[in-house]
Amino acid sequence: MAKMENTKKLSDMVYACSGIGDCRIAYRWAVGRYGVCPVLEHSPQFDPFYARGKIRIAKGLIEGELEPSEELAKVLYQCTTCGNCHSACHQSMCEYIELPISRFIDHTKLFEAMRADMVEEGLGPMPRHKELMEWTKKEHNPYMEKHEDRIKWIPEGKTIPQKADMVWFMGCTEPYRQPELAQAFLKILEAAGVEFAIIHPEEWCCGSIFFRTGVWGLAEELAKHNIEALKASGAKRVVIHCAGCYRTIAKDYPEHFGELPFQVVNAVELIRDLMKEGKLKPSEANVKVTYHDPCHLGRHMGIYDAPREILEMMPGVELVEMRRIRDAAWCCGAGGGVKSGFPDLAVEIAKDRIKEAEETEAELIVTACPFCVRNLKDASEALNSKLKVVDIVELLAENLG
Amino acid sequence: MSSVLRALEDAVGSEYVSDEDFVTYAYARGMDAALPANPPEYVVKPGTTEEVAEVVRIANRFKIPIVPRGGGCCLTGGSKPIEKGGILLDTTRMHRIINIDENTLTVTVECGITWAELNSKLNELGYYTGNLGPGSGMSAVVGGGLSHHSVGGGGGAKYGTCSEHCVALEVVLPNGNTINTGSNASVYTKEPFCRFGFGPDLTGLFLGDNGLLGIKTKATLEIFPRPKYHAAKTFTIEEPSAENAAKIWLAWRKRGDLGIYDSQWWPLIMVLGLQLLLDVPPIKPWVGLQKAVFWYTMEAETEEQLEANMKIVDQICKEHGCEEMGPEIKDGNIAKWHYEEQGHWLNWHSLWGGMGPGSVPLTTEHHIAIHRVPYISQKLDEWEAAHRAELDANGGMQTGISTAILCGHTTVEVDSGLIGWDKPEYREKNLELWKSQIEMLLREGAMPYMVGEMYSKGLIDTEAFSGTYYEFLKNVKQALDPNRILSPGKFYL
Repeated sequence: MAKMENTKKLSDMVYACSGIGDCRIAYRWAVGRYGVCPVLEHSPQFDPFYARGKIRIAKGLIEGELEPSEELAKVLYQCTTCGNCHSACHQSMCEYIELPISRFIDHTKLFEAMRADMVEEGLGPMPRHKELMEWTKKEHNPYMEKHEDRIKWIPEGKTIPQKADMVWFMGCTEPYRQPELAQAFLKILEAAGVEFAIIHPEEWCCGSIFFRTGVWGLAEELAKHNIEALKASGAKRVVIHCAGCYRTIAKDYPEHFGELPFQVVNAVELIRDLMKEGKLKPSEANVKVTYHDPCHLGRHMGIYDAPREILEMMPGVELVEMRRIRDAAWCCGAGGGVKSGFPDLAVEIAKDRIKEAEETEAELIVTACPFCVRNLKDASEALNSKLKVVDIVELLAENLG
Repeated sequence: MSSVLRALEDAVGSEYVSDEDFVTYAYARGMDAALPANPPEYVVKPGTTEEVAEVVRIANRFKIPIVPRGGGCCLTGGSKPIEKGGILLDTTRMHRIINIDENTLTVTVECGITWAELNSKLNELGYYTGNLGPGSGMSAVVGGGLSHHSVGGGGGAKYGTCSEHCVALEVVLPNGNTINTGSNASVYTKEPFCRFGFGPDLTGLFLGDNGLLGIKTKATLEIFPRPKYHAAKTFTIEEPSAENAAKIWLAWRKRGDLGIYDSQWWPLIMVLGLQLLLDVPPIKPWVGLQKAVFWYTMEAETEEQLEANMKIVDQICKEHGCEEMGPEIKDGNIAKWHYEEQGHWLNWHSLWGGMGPGSVPLTTEHHIAIHRVPYISQKLDEWEAAHRAELDANGGMQTGISTAILCGHTTVEVDSGLIGWDKPEYREKNLELWKSQIEMLLREGAMPYMVGEMYSKGLIDTEAFSGTYYEFLKNVKQALDPNRILSPGKFYL
């Protein structure tokens, strides 16, 4: 019988599920909800492909009525851990009414624990995740790149200090794959006159992909290193643009290691504050945009307003919302290891979001996450969409002259 | 690979059939956590009526049972195999809207669509289905609702059960043949528009049948324009509140159509229980409330009509011990949340998990005539008194009426039942006590609509049906399904 220790620790969540199944396809248009599970429509649609089925399986595994298998593991990894099921689960959407079950289940946490048990059973993660795992052990990034190349994106002639009260945790995705985003954020920080440092070569992968895919041993190793490195740097504040790194450092690190000795802020909050203080004055943009809430920033961390405030403060930017926004926003499809483990599925989900964005007739779909940018771009290209995908830092930097 | 599996794969495509243990296990129960988990042997997800028919023909060829299932929301064991094995036919892939016809004011859908998805699309055109299906309507599908005569998801007081507005069905019979009913029974009918005609009402045979007599693949429902005006009011109500609520409802009905869309009574024990059972009371404005609650929502085409009806309705409420809470949700006006924020699909969610993780509802909800609400309430109190020691010994179970809701012309849905613990050591006694309350209610004249496994067997165990009625039901089943393919075990058939 499989041990399933990580799942057992969360058995209260498992036994709290009523089994109603609103996590499949709930619609409640009065509060802006149109559907729930982004994976379901691109799967054979059996119950295990959405939250209720997974929770039932968790119960079977805990009680020994089911044994883990390769096929089961494969289904458990076909989940973006977007958390939309949690947002739909017994949520009154009314501040005066709190339905009991909504307090008991953290779907993302439970599904990650199930994955961790699959890893312990030798059934997870997926083959591609294992490759990323092996490379990260050697070079501290999952992009098959050399560690020393993490700062290759920095424009020639620029030197970023190694010590300041505020440290920018760059992450892996932007330095290695989307340098234009890192360069845009650098431009913003410089334009606002912000003093900051980076801690290369001490910055390693934050471990997001490994927390998400249940490879908790490696994830914790990376986390420990980064916490120590940031502590040693004397950072009082750590600013992160990558939504995945932000969620990991601001949420996973304290959950696994307790309170951090520094404050963690997301770039959009910092930028919003800088704009309010008058330190950033963008020129007229004259563009119609829609905003995509990244799951790691929105549902996982509750940051919905800051990016919208930035867009509102940008002259000439007209924000037209999509039908599904904020905690009912449709996932881009990239998270939870799906982009690396099941790339076709990731793009199919992103196509749904691109089509939804097209309905707004916006020219740009703006987001605040390099992973969303990548996946939405892939989908936009696959659909031959006219819609351009940009990160909010790119849009702002472009209009800073 | 087994011959059955091969045949099913040929019928619906290998992607949509599974015999993986973790897939079948996920379908081993509905929302009936007190019943044993019975995994089917295969789960199939057909995409068309022809595929459904082919699965049924395969089942006949191999003499293997089928349980049709929609959202899997049945609380009494209606959407799971009563015995292990067989084919579970999940209809949720079939969720297209075929046609919204504004000339006949009907919508034709595949039966795997949820009530909420359907109404979301209708809402864009200013329509709704009137009755919005069961309380689980965000997940429950049209086929399941029609199989249970569902109410509770909104609109029950104005529109009755969802079955009342079904115009026509497409049904795959237990032998694999497909028929159309209602106005669609004639090949010359231009479009579905009316249920009654062409002889006997064979649509009715498949409504409330719990998947016993056929598999509903398409349904045509009446649609209604959503009225422009509404009101939502919540009151405290004096004791004896069951009697007062029943008097109000009957008095309203005797005044004709007042546009009441929904109305509920929440007994004092429920109001207090919500505050005491949990660390965080679900309805915050009710903290400290020491009275039962009564509420209504009302619709009207004009402001004048709304005002006039509200005057009558409020006067009757006042005459029977009602005192209005404030107008906003923060004042305790839960009716406003129900109507304006679609809380109607979350009505019972305050109960689920009501005693914490692992607590499960064992519903004994049923219909009763309005005037009998106080009587049935008293009988449930007596049942509790007689079983209190057993309830306490079985983990500290709770029982009683959570709500009663006005539905249909002079019918009330009484949401009674028990809350127990889904733990191995309690499961046997859970079932015993659940069965006991069901049998008491049936003997007192309660009319279940969500019959599932528990009530369908209870009806036979208590000999609620006369011998000739049960014989007739058996004959109908035998004539349609001689191989006992569909949902075997319900009603012991």
